[in-house]
Amino acid sequence: MDTAASRACAPLVAALLAGDHAAALAETRRLVAAGLAPERIVTEGLEAAMGRLDDKCTVEQFNLLEIMLVGRAVSVVVRELYPDGLPPARGKATFVIATLEGDVHDLGKNIVRMVLIGKGYRVVDLGRDCPVETLAEAAEREGARAVLVSGLISPIVPQVRRVRAALRARGLGGVAVVAGGAALKQLAPADLDVDYVAENAFDGARYLDGLAADGAAA
Amino acid sequence: MNGLERIFAAVDFAPADRPAFVPQLFGHAAATGGVALADYLRDGRLLAECQLRERERYGGDAVFAFMDFGVETEAFGARLKYYDSQYPDVVEYALAPGDDPARLRQPDPSGAGRMPQILRAIELLRARLGDAACVAGAVAGPMTLATQLYGTETALFLAVDDPARFAAALDVAAAAALRFGAAQLAAGAHGIVVFDPAASPAVVPAAFFRAHLLSRLARLRVGLRAAGARLFWLNIAGPTADILPHYAEIGADIATFDYYVDPATARRQLPRTCLAGNLKSLDFLVSAPARLAAQARQLSAAFADRGGFILSSGCEIPPEADPADLLALAEAAGAR
Repeated sequence: MDTAASRACAPLVAALLAGDHAAALAETRRLVAAGLAPERIVTEGLEAAMGRLDDKCTVEQFNLLEIMLVGRAVSVVVRELYPDGLPPARGKATFVIATLEGDVHDLGKNIVRMVLIGKGYRVVDLGRDCPVETLAEAAEREGARAVLVSGLISPIVPQVRRVRAALRARGLGGVAVVAGGAALKQLAPADLDVDYVAENAFDGARYLDGLAADGAAA
Repeated sequence: MNGLERIFAAVDFAPADRPAFVPQLFGHAAATGGVALADYLRDGRLLAECQLRERERYGGDAVFAFMDFGVETEAFGARLKYYDSQYPDVVEYALAPGDDPARLRQPDPSGAGRMPQILRAIELLRARLGDAACVAGAVAGPMTLATQLYGTETALFLAVDDPARFAAALDVAAAAALRFGAAQLAAGAHGIVVFDPAASPAVVPAAFFRAHLLSRLARLRVGLRAAGARLFWLNIAGPTADILPHYAEIGADIATFDYYVDPATARRQLPRTCLAGNLKSLDFLVSAPARLAAQARQLSAAFADRGGFILSSGCEIPPEADPADLLALAEAAGAR
């Protein structure tokens, strides 16, 4: 929608898509000084940029460097707008994300977190090397709609296969399990006992958009 | 024909009794040899014995003197954490984010970290195999070693924020690859596999590859050739379709293509370069011997009219892969 706010945020969107964190910060400060509410900067700036990036990654090659640059710019803007973190009420749905015990590679996880925050979701990040039981406990505590597990290395596969059972043991059979990452994405959902295997961060985010929309409709 | 002859026939697009068969089996050999991965990764004698056993079992045309991507950075001073059954992680990088790569001293392969164990493995493998099979040495490519020196996140941001310092890191890494590769050739390796997964278009755009990595890989190839390499195998996993044509400019004798790139595209992109691929590595975690055997036959058929093909995986076959899958694959390849 072409509104005054979206027009005002256009330079911010451009800076975010260029991965220019310094320009994104300057634009954010300009918008705040002009009186635009942080909520609008998120919806018209961050979410718009995420949508454009999603489109780009659908038709072009997804690469880590460019996404990391955008992620850094988004993080700088979020920190400027919400120094104490995104208010819980803003989140459209809550997701719990982790790299499971035995895997200390968390770049991919961090990118997914950035994309989801940029889309307005609340994301509880349990970090790396996270036990399955800790993940299930957090899903219960946080009222998560889904848990997301990222895996770069093959030895993590048996851990991923345990997530569903750990959730069910807590009565959380309705919590979706989504996997992604260089190793996990080579396997089918049935091989991992998960609901969805994401090809990349945006593919996973699209699946979660659908889940969140279903939840809102219900 | 023996394994080495079969590989050279593939490189030369010459007739062979069957397609060369070189599954990327590294840590998997530890399981076959009945030793802990952690021991395999630190003992050149064990590595050599396990690779020989792996070859006897599956009939591969090459053996690999490769441990993990921590070897070079550890030799530069990084601290690694080892595990019983998975590859080590870097817990303290050789370079802090603000460090100038010029502060690093090039490691001496005869004494730095685990490098001497790799050289020992090559000597043992070559002594046992002679020219019956390819003894492949291995180095981390410039981009991968640069990310291992700083950490991936730091290195990638550095590439954008301080291109001159990042270029210096690439130069240090390329020099280390040449020195370590040359030492492996002197120890008896027939050729060198340059593993550079961080150069994949999944990590950096193809334009970045052209701007920063192409010329360095080409110089590395020239240097290794001068040091006696009979084979230069460029091994980059992931969606490499956009950079494959550059492998010919680099002068690669063998080019890995992963499951993201279909055989027809790979053939079109590299019409006169031997291609190695492209079985999906993690298919080996879901035991399906018949399916893998069928894939192997399809792949071999896809190259039957041109040659220049090595039946392989697009990336490492995981250490925990089911031996039944590998046996089925070897039978389909005609290696057993």
